[in-house]
Amino acid sequence: MNRVATALWNPIVAKEYRSRMRTWRSPLAMSIYILLLGGLGWAIFAAQAGSARNSFNSGQAASYGHQLFFYLVIFQMGLIAFVTPALTAGAISGERERQTIDLLFVTRIPPFSIIWGKLIASMSFVVLLLLLSVPIFSLVFLFGGIELDQVLTSFLVTLVAALTLGLIGIAFSAVLPRTLPSTVAAYGVGFILLAGTYVYGLVFPTIIDPTAVATATVAPAPPAITYLSPIESLVAISDGTIGSYGIRYGNSPIYSGGGGCSTVGGVTSCYSAPMVAPGRFSKGFISAQPLGSDSAIASGSFMGWQFWQATVTLELAIGLIALAASAFFLSPVRRLPWQRRAPAAEATP
Amino acid sequence: MISVEQLTKTYGHRTALDAVSFEVPKGEIFGFVGPNGAGKTTTLRILAALLEPTAGRAFVDGADVSRQPDRVHERLGYMPDFFGVYDQLTAAEYLDFYAACYRQPKTRRKKITDDLLELVGLSDRRDQAVDTLSRGLKQRLCLARALVHDPAVLLLDEPASGLDPRARVEMREILKELQKMGKTIVISSHILPELTELCTMIGIIDQGRMRATGPVQDVIRQLTSGRRLRITVLGQKEEAAAALKPLAMVHAVTTVNGAIEAEYEGDDATAAAILQTLTAAGIKVSAFSQLDGGLEDAFLRATSEDAE
Repeated sequence: MNRVATALWNPIVAKEYRSRMRTWRSPLAMSIYILLLGGLGWAIFAAQAGSARNSFNSGQAASYGHQLFFYLVIFQMGLIAFVTPALTAGAISGERERQTIDLLFVTRIPPFSIIWGKLIASMSFVVLLLLLSVPIFSLVFLFGGIELDQVLTSFLVTLVAALTLGLIGIAFSAVLPRTLPSTVAAYGVGFILLAGTYVYGLVFPTIIDPTAVATATVAPAPPAITYLSPIESLVAISDGTIGSYGIRYGNSPIYSGGGGCSTVGGVTSCYSAPMVAPGRFSKGFISAQPLGSDSAIASGSFMGWQFWQATVTLELAIGLIALAASAFFLSPVRRLPWQRRAPAAEATP
Repeated sequence: MISVEQLTKTYGHRTALDAVSFEVPKGEIFGFVGPNGAGKTTTLRILAALLEPTAGRAFVDGADVSRQPDRVHERLGYMPDFFGVYDQLTAAEYLDFYAACYRQPKTRRKKITDDLLELVGLSDRRDQAVDTLSRGLKQRLCLARALVHDPAVLLLDEPASGLDPRARVEMREILKELQKMGKTIVISSHILPELTELCTMIGIIDQGRMRATGPVQDVIRQLTSGRRLRITVLGQKEEAAAALKPLAMVHAVTTVNGAIEAEYEGDDATAAAILQTLTAAGIKVSAFSQLDGGLEDAFLRATSEDAE
């Protein structure tokens, strides 16, 4: 039998689908999801329709579309981040609590397939939620201002973030014996990944080197760790620009005191103003748009990448680590690959 | 079929298994007896390749449990001492799921499910949700689950615990049926009378050590050396004991619940001679009977050695 097909479609997936869809929780979760997202969409739509009644031109419509899309995308990310750990943090620990994990271990399903089956089953539910939101997102196209590729990219970023959160949830459920601590840990790490890395950019922004900016032709980028957060990518996708997030001027007493960046012909250059008074320095975030007309990352290891590409890459890397950890910690008899003994010849007892 | 050699398992300073060895030939029903915490479940989990032994080796149908867990799982059906059922699945779906987990082809799974439900007498419950089945029925379903891949060896951890007498009898009948089908079965239990009737071989384990192992009658004979008499006399206990003690064939004389128990070496004629001696000494014997040295007695003797 095709091994890939067996790995992708294993009995756990079918069993999980059956179990999940037979409870009242799934339709309830879907209904609440649609009501919340639809409610937000409707509220913004209604507000904008109200203001458009007074004055309306095509430029305004595009900005309404932008705004609606921005709120929907961020809110959807929040909802998915809320749902995903709940789907996965009990995947393995739930089997332990139900005392069914040993029964799976004595079958011919390898531990990796157990994790994979759980992952496919929970991610399918996330995909179902994303599909359910498509009609709500279509509201955006009434106004325009958003391209289809922006919608698709934002869905991809949301899905990859959900996948990462899902894998982290499964890893915790494999490592921790009970579902409750596993859920708490998965939500905690999920919060750090989504909001914490974003806040990091605000608290520890990239400092513009005042000695270098005078001649620099590229603007600095926010700290690399902030690319982990899908929020920044979603902002970049829906807005087209990232703003001055995560960057500030240096606090050198000599050169601080002001400055800015400007974009001329697609090339961004920054400058710093001479000091106002010795010993005084400013730490504020710069208010100008230093990153140019597109949302590509201006400097660092990811220079030239789109924010969402960096986010997706980093999150997939974290997801892979979580997947490997889950497979290792799930096995009833844990051995690292180099500790595995070669099978002995058929022994006669 | 099953071979365990010097199996040892330690958790920190605590030794759960201490050089346990035994063999179970094909087609035998091996009763694994011991008090709670003796190491029965640990041994069975090692045999099911769910636990790595600290030292020693174990083989199931020629496959080493530490090195070839996949081959062990192919040949072995394991029923732990808990049910492990999923909500939201019917009995038939439950068996079908495990049959799929054992890589049984889809075309065969329906037949496997139907046959097993019939074997354990659950055909009329095939569409009932698993979590609504009674304890006895769940236990039978779990036994069916352990059989979905037609294993040569069955490991049953406390299969009768928590079952009412009727369910126990039914479970025993099913196990006899399985023995007829040529399966090698290992049952751990502390319900001894049941094992005496069902098992062909027995192993007594206590505090991680194997106290005795072999065919049931051999173990009983080995552990209960000599036979015992229970003698009830009318008021002359001391005299009776004094009359018994000098006899060469009597090893020990004790008083249990107001009756005298005498351990002796010999046959029925020896017992008759003992009775004659007592009556000749003028002792009024009101009751005189042979005590059956059963598995329970053997078990108590084997497991109390350490306490002495």
